[in-house]
Amino acid sequence: MADITSGKPQEPIQSRQTPPGRGLSDRQKDIIQKFAALGSLVILAAVFATTSSAFLTVNNGMTIALQVTSIALLGIGATYVIITGGIDLSVGSVLALAGVVAALAVRDLGTPIWLGMLIGILTGSACGLINAFVITRLKLPPFIATLGMMLIARGVALQITGARAVSGLGEAFGVLGNGSLFRIESIDDQGFPVVSFPGIPYPVVLMIVIAIAAGFLLNRTVLGRHIYAIGSNADAARLSGVNVTRVTAFTYLVSGTLAGLTGCVLMSRLVTAQPNEGVAYELDAIASAVIGGTSLIGGVGTISGTFIGAFVIGILRNGLNMNGVSAFIQQIIIGLVILVTVWIDQIRNRR
Amino acid sequence: MGRLPLAVGEPEPARLLLSLEGVAKEFPGVKALQGVSFDLRAGEVHAVCGENGAGKSTLMKIISGVYQRDAGEIVYKGQTVHFTSTLQSEAAGIAIIHQELNLVPHLSVAENIYLAREPRRGFLIDRRKLFADAKRCLDRLGVDIDPHAQVRTLSVAQCQMVEIAKALSLDASVLIMDEPTSSLTEQEAQLLFRVIRDLKAAGTGIVYISHRLDEMAEIVDRVTILRDGRYISTDDFSAITVDTIVARMVGRPLEEKFPAPTRQPTRDVLFSVSGLTRHGVFSDISFEIRRGEILGFAGLMGAGRTEVARAIFGADPFDAGTITLDGRTLSISDPRSAIEAGIAYLSEDRKGQGLAVKMPVDANLMMANMEAVASGAGVIDRERHRAASQRYVDLLSIKTPSLGQPVRLLSGGNQQKIIIGKWLFREPKIMFFDEPTRGIDVGAKFAIYQIMDELAARGIGIVLISSELPEILGLSDRVAVFHEGRITATLSTRETSQEDIMLYASGRSRHGE
Ligand SMILES: Nc1ncnc2c1ncn2[C@@H]1O[C@H](COP(=O)(O)OP(=O)(O)OP(=O)(O)O)[C@@H](O)[C@H]1O
Ligand SMILES: [Mg+2]
Repeated sequence: MADITSGKPQEPIQSRQTPPGRGLSDRQKDIIQKFAALGSLVILAAVFATTSSAFLTVNNGMTIALQVTSIALLGIGATYVIITGGIDLSVGSVLALAGVVAALAVRDLGTPIWLGMLIGILTGSACGLINAFVITRLKLPPFIATLGMMLIARGVALQITGARAVSGLGEAFGVLGNGSLFRIESIDDQGFPVVSFPGIPYPVVLMIVIAIAAGFLLNRTVLGRHIYAIGSNADAARLSGVNVTRVTAFTYLVSGTLAGLTGCVLMSRLVTAQPNEGVAYELDAIASAVIGGTSLIGGVGTISGTFIGAFVIGILRNGLNMNGVSAFIQQIIIGLVILVTVWIDQIRNRR
Repeated sequence: MGRLPLAVGEPEPARLLLSLEGVAKEFPGVKALQGVSFDLRAGEVHAVCGENGAGKSTLMKIISGVYQRDAGEIVYKGQTVHFTSTLQSEAAGIAIIHQELNLVPHLSVAENIYLAREPRRGFLIDRRKLFADAKRCLDRLGVDIDPHAQVRTLSVAQCQMVEIAKALSLDASVLIMDEPTSSLTEQEAQLLFRVIRDLKAAGTGIVYISHRLDEMAEIVDRVTILRDGRYISTDDFSAITVDTIVARMVGRPLEEKFPAPTRQPTRDVLFSVSGLTRHGVFSDISFEIRRGEILGFAGLMGAGRTEVARAIFGADPFDAGTITLDGRTLSISDPRSAIEAGIAYLSEDRKGQGLAVKMPVDANLMMANMEAVASGAGVIDRERHRAASQRYVDLLSIKTPSLGQPVRLLSGGNQQKIIIGKWLFREPKIMFFDEPTRGIDVGAKFAIYQIMDELAARGIGIVLISSELPEILGLSDRVAVFHEGRITATLSTRETSQEDIMLYASGRSRHGE
């Protein structure tokens, strides 16, 4: 109804700063924006390629893709939730809990690995459902509900492991995180394996498949449309017959489930489950969504944008690392990138 | 027809406050204004008329600095001005009441009226003075609204009154009112007119935009007509007829205001409500809708008409009562179950409850019936989605550069048409139209009336909630009159009159009955 922050008429504020561009349709602008994000990604890659010779190699490409997986998977969940106008702060903790539950199931209960991982993923789903219940039924604000879950899930993960890493999981536990598809290997005359193509790591395959599915759901299905509708105007959505409770709950379920999956993938890569894994990952997830154009007010956002956002963060981290930039400076740079991209996005939207 | 030249010997025109020459404005894909001229004298009410999307609001936003003009000249009190924000225009003495409500829901009425201009004592807000001043403002309007009440608890009409009070509190020398009466009943509009007369006498220049042409005669001195962003004419109101105004707005003469009914009301009861009660809001509401008829809900602001419709639609709870459709008793728990049962409710609160304004035209049109353009698995069929949206854009002549245009960029009247389209696409059995023609131009009104008549003729039960009595009288077959949460009478439209309805609406029954 009104602009909460200033109470002045809303349109004036939106249109005051920038004269509307002429001759460009919204669609054209959106495309330009997409290319701008993609373009900056390419420029980033080009800059790093010149500053570090190891950057532009197949191997490093795979490394980046692997690093990006967790951000992208969590970012997809974050995008769903944020489009409805919510937020999920619990994913970092939930992924740790899911990972240690999977590991404990395998080590202490002796479940097969696939079942252990499934239990881990479902742990994530359960956390998502609890978030959904607290938000839609108890009507707590998403920020508070998921903040609570963030503390609880982390606490449970630490409690059930005694705050110690769960190791001794066996090599098979590491297949999901370390194996790859289409790996081409041969044995040379000395009997050493030679890798002619490192293959596409399973996590990357997972990420791509899930991103495509998530994008399809958001763009092309009734459910996806309802997610946007709720974020754009929940009252209007409800009065149009949208099951606001169910659809909102669905987004938290997705976010929790993807956190569970991410947890299993990460723990599998390390072949150890760390109850302290994933601290502050929720911020990377939210940042990737926001860099990709998702609006924290709700109603706006795309999976492709989030995907690009995740790569921007991943490439920045990787490239800065390779150039020996300290972790502290990295934080500063990524912080600035978030501010600048969101600022650019806002200017674009002030029409 | 024709334009009267100023007769010789007529009193010299009053001081010119504002004059615009050759103003143009273009939005992506839309030439909103081209070469528009306009002027405003002290102490006059100058109406601006035009169809939905003609550019009225855009012109006002240019005057008040919300938008910047692409071309043209604006002279205010003898000086060329270039306001770049409403802060500047307000400081210069131009106040505007926007067509869309712009209040902060969680603040009180008084805080809204004096937002960013709070009376202070040192660093602190002088709350006593704040509420006292606000009370004085509201009293000046003659409305009974508690300055302490939170805005979100108010009805749309009350919010509108608060907007008006806010603008009045600025003591501006130019006051722009963009459809101030669209959600007011006749009585409330009269309160506004009284204040307008006072302001006129005090030398304020008032720009007045409304689609209720009939009420203009009471206050308007001159009228300027726009069509498709172009200037058509300016006349003394006394020298022009409403029919001429309409003809110039639309570009062709419009003979009738209401379509000749094609429906044939039967005695066959389609939908009935009995003993519907929500404690403290309405009680013992009983009515029935017969197949093929349009039932009007008349009443004053706060009489409970919207509340009853919302309860039937499942948007609000109720405590007692039964609802029967086609002989089956419905159990409605939320809007979804009501929609599934075949009930539609067009909200009076367009921006708050009717539209997802960030989403495009087509998404909004399809919103209540996505299943119809999707496969069983819920995958949207883009071609059917596009075709169906286009059909309703054409049917209602919605003015938009594309189906993908975000709804917030459409003119107010065109937004309203989208809500109507959304529900038409759902093809319900019972439709509650809550102020369906609010802010809609005469031509489109006629089209909407025609659609309502056609729907009724097809056997769909129609309830028309309207603050405009002529609309209720012109369109409905029977009228249920509400007073303070009760139905005081159900009258046959043919055998009743505006006076009768007003009598029941004010709670007094007719002598001898
Ligand atoms: N910010 C905007 N961006 C793009 N198009 C706009 C914008 N504002 C208005 N328009 C378009 O400009 C035209 C004129 O709109 P305007 O709101 O001035 O109409 P209006 O005469 O006030 O109509 P109504 O009677 O429906 O309120 C419309 O076609 C509208 O869609
Ligand atoms: Mg307008």
